[in-house]
Amino acid sequence: MLTLTNVRKRYGATVALDGLSLSVRPGEILGLLGPNGAGKSTTVNLSVGLIAPDEGQVSLGALGSPRDPTARRRVGVAPQALAIYEQLTAEENLRFFGRVYGLSGAALAGRVDWALDFAALRDRRRDRAATYSGGMKRRLNLVAALVHDPELVLLDEPTVGVDPQSRNAILERILELRRLGRTVVYTTHYMEEAERLCDRVAVVDHGRLLALGTVPELLRAHGGEPVLVARVGSEVRRVPAPDPARALLDLLATGHLDDFHLERANLETVFLSLTGRSLRD
Amino acid sequence: MAFASATAAVLAMARKDLTLLTRNRGALFFTFGWPVIMALAFGTIFGGMGGERGRIPVAVVDEDGTPESARLVERLRATEGLEVAAATREEAERLVRTGKRTAAVILPGGYGEASGRLFYGEPRRLEIAVDPARVAEAAMLEGILTGAAMQSMQDLFGDRRRSTEMVNKALADLAASPDGPRRLPTERFLGELKTFLAQPPEAKAPGGSTGAGAGSGWKPVAIEKRALQAERRGPANPFEVTFPQGMLWGVIASALGFAVSLVTERTRGTLMRLQTAPVSRAHVLAGKALACLAAIAAVLALLVGMGWAFFGVRPASPALLALAAASLAVCFVGIMMVVAVLGKTEQSAGGLGWAIMMPLTLFGGGMVPLFAMPRWMQAAGSVSPVKWGILALEGAIWRGFGLAELLLPCAVLLAVGAVGFVLGARLFAAEG
Repeated sequence: MLTLTNVRKRYGATVALDGLSLSVRPGEILGLLGPNGAGKSTTVNLSVGLIAPDEGQVSLGALGSPRDPTARRRVGVAPQALAIYEQLTAEENLRFFGRVYGLSGAALAGRVDWALDFAALRDRRRDRAATYSGGMKRRLNLVAALVHDPELVLLDEPTVGVDPQSRNAILERILELRRLGRTVVYTTHYMEEAERLCDRVAVVDHGRLLALGTVPELLRAHGGEPVLVARVGSEVRRVPAPDPARALLDLLATGHLDDFHLERANLETVFLSLTGRSLRD
Repeated sequence: MAFASATAAVLAMARKDLTLLTRNRGALFFTFGWPVIMALAFGTIFGGMGGERGRIPVAVVDEDGTPESARLVERLRATEGLEVAAATREEAERLVRTGKRTAAVILPGGYGEASGRLFYGEPRRLEIAVDPARVAEAAMLEGILTGAAMQSMQDLFGDRRRSTEMVNKALADLAASPDGPRRLPTERFLGELKTFLAQPPEAKAPGGSTGAGAGSGWKPVAIEKRALQAERRGPANPFEVTFPQGMLWGVIASALGFAVSLVTERTRGTLMRLQTAPVSRAHVLAGKALACLAAIAAVLALLVGMGWAFFGVRPASPALLALAAASLAVCFVGIMMVVAVLGKTEQSAGGLGWAIMMPLTLFGGGMVPLFAMPRWMQAAGSVSPVKWGILALEGAIWRGFGLAELLLPCAVLLAVGAVGFVLGARLFAAEG
């Protein structure tokens, strides 16, 4: 659905992407993770045709280059910023973006109704967006990218600054998009969201792809072995445990245990092990 | 992208921007309210609403040279609503054409003789020559002249000797004239009037006899009005100076609003969303420019309508005014396109816009009329498109420019606008 092949992009002396290659499969949710300045936004901007690569190729499969306006018709993007007109109502926003994508008449009306339902904004459709809560604005920002029924959707941190209920609602809707057969590229800093949503996760840093795979694959490849942590009296023992059950039995054979638990790597552990712990401001 | 889809997208963007304009009270005020205030406030300050406005300057031509005509001239001089200057017919018409007098009042030969034919025959005749743009003043002048004629009749009947002579002459004229359907009642009326005039003043009943039926349909004075197109070498009133300034401010405010709205699109992220849609950057700019031009058209229509209806601002050529306004709009939308691209935030775009426009406006006659400036400022103002904009508007409104004279200011405006469009579009494209 989306393929970047050996893409390089510079901004002056800064190398934003350094030979990045990445392929997004049709119908999957691909998580795009990376610290600030890793190249995520450049990847998104290239994928929607906002900018052209200095080297390499970006392709939307059979649709061609995202620089081609016809191909862009099948792509939707929800920027991290609330890219909506707050002085317009939800309905006016959606009608406007639908028209820009070439919709009109009954098709436009139908898609606007669908989007309002999808975002649970039907009751507030005629209220100006400025009067909405943060979660409602985020949902409107999301469906503004969907009103023209795109095949590929790029979502840039769509849950920033919303309460847990709104976040859950947004994540549920993104899963619904997968059920509807849409392909989603999901950029986030929230690892638990990536673990919950993504079929595969790509970790990028310094403009390069560091890892790509399902979450279990990444954990196996980069998370290290599980560690069995046991407490005997005031002593705490940490035992590498590729086979946790055998390790526990071996430990019990040496005597009494007051307490124990198993430490497994998670996506955050993988992320930090791949990108380091130094601050990226 | 098909032309129809692109057009629909551009129209959608323009419609959206106009909707946003109507929902932004501040922008709405500066686009529509402020230019009207500028036009009205300064027009009033420069004398448009007070002082001499009630006195109509007229040139009076006495071609009759009789005591009756001289009496009317004196009466007109004494009339509060008129400022009278004596002149020959040629001088009077020249004064009206050059806008120095609103109208010429001509007392043709035979005026005095006709004054002795009250209640029968042809009435006294007056001519007025007036600029057709001065509809209200012409109507007021007709009323004043009719009133003066009535007053002269009242004076006549206050002078027993003159009025008796007049009645005797009228009876003699009637006796010598052929019979007509109104001869008998008029003779009866004049006979009763002679008897009435012969009575001592104390014997006259209040109101006196009017001779029922006599003189019906007769007018004390016949006023012949003809149009005399003014050459409009100067503004007819201060509003003809301040309304072009108001129009200029309307255009600047609309264009600056457009510039800031483009920056807002960038900072809010909606521009990115638009740029990822199947429309080009040119379409985005075209949508903005269309909305801006629509707002400019609205504010100019408002000012022209107000000026026409209430403030005597009558464009000499509406077609040339439309050309001047279109050139002005292109110029300032072009300038503001550069501002929109250079300004990275709303504040910087607004600040940059005003920083550019204030000196251009100051030196170009947007604040103080050009003719009121020192010569060096007038010369410096030539580099300001504001000066050319004001000149084009004034040319179409009161300077009496023809198409040939309007071409230079319009060409300057269009050239500046074109440079702005090209530079702005290139900078905008380079951002990508």
